[in-house]
Amino acid sequence: MSVAPKMPKCWRPETKAHKFCPGCGHGLVLKALGEAIDELGIQERTVFGCDIGCSLLAWDFFNIDTVQTHHGRTTPVITGIKRANEDVIGIAYMGDGGGYAIGSQHLVNAATRNEKITVILVNNTNYGMTGGQMAPTTLPNQKTETSPYGRDVEATGNPTQGPEMVAAITPDTAYVARGTVANVRQLKKFMKRALENQISGNGFSFVEVLSGCPTNWRTNAAETWKFIEETMPQYFKIGEIKVPGEKKEG
Amino acid sequence: MSSPWKPVTYENGKGIFHLFTNLCKGCGLCVEKCPVNTIGWSKKLGVYGTPAVEPGHGEKDCIACGICELVCPDCAIKIEKVKDKKEA
Repeated sequence: MSVAPKMPKCWRPETKAHKFCPGCGHGLVLKALGEAIDELGIQERTVFGCDIGCSLLAWDFFNIDTVQTHHGRTTPVITGIKRANEDVIGIAYMGDGGGYAIGSQHLVNAATRNEKITVILVNNTNYGMTGGQMAPTTLPNQKTETSPYGRDVEATGNPTQGPEMVAAITPDTAYVARGTVANVRQLKKFMKRALENQISGNGFSFVEVLSGCPTNWRTNAAETWKFIEETMPQYFKIGEIKVPGEKKEG
Repeated sequence: MSSPWKPVTYENGKGIFHLFTNLCKGCGLCVEKCPVNTIGWSKKLGVYGTPAVEPGHGEKDCIACGICELVCPDCAIKIEKVKDKKEA
């Protein structure tokens, strides 16, 4: 018997190896998401929406109905699908550029309305697909293509604290958490809880994931892990920020 | 159904390390995460023509903990544990 790779069942094997760069965090995020979908058994009724940027490379990633939209509009598109058919599990998948910069109004308004969808936002501190420009989440003094001397917080402000913002504007039935690709098991737990919050019809669920971009950070594997595990959590606190009626973890 | 991916298999007493060269992109995340530093660069090439990984490079041998399998973004590694006690 031939040995098969240990992929989540909802992955689409014929499109693998996937299109992300070597060492990209998206693979780990989608692995955690795929395992969460498998364990909840919701593959057949899930709709996956991916945004523009590197996250669109997930358009043929799953054996799941998928739609690709632009500039944060994944959130309203999934909202529309969810409103039209409440049996669907809607997942909006985006990067930090799509969610916090060009598309932040969609995220803010969907969160305020407490739409019953799940938003997964991958934070890699830059615009990966266009070549590593400065994003709202770029850390202070971090060098990018458009901040070659490091991000100047006097001129460009501090990194966006997305989950904290979403937690502040959502009602008590929302689920908000921040995970990291350095802890895949915890990340999977957060995603599962976010999806369960949607399945039970509670309200908006939002998971931000700290992820790596070795290509644009120009880091080797050791420096990539160091940046994800040590530097990023100094600004972005990992853990559950808002849990409906439960104790928080982390 | 036969798998389209053919693994390269390395075996010691504790576990079997399967490496799918046409999934491995050679990012090296597993090399850094290995607790016994046994993973290193192989002479076999991965899907992008860069070196793939293999166990057996450190002082200690693979302990089949499965952390490399967990942190591989491409699911290129599969670990099978071998049971310690031989059944009589």
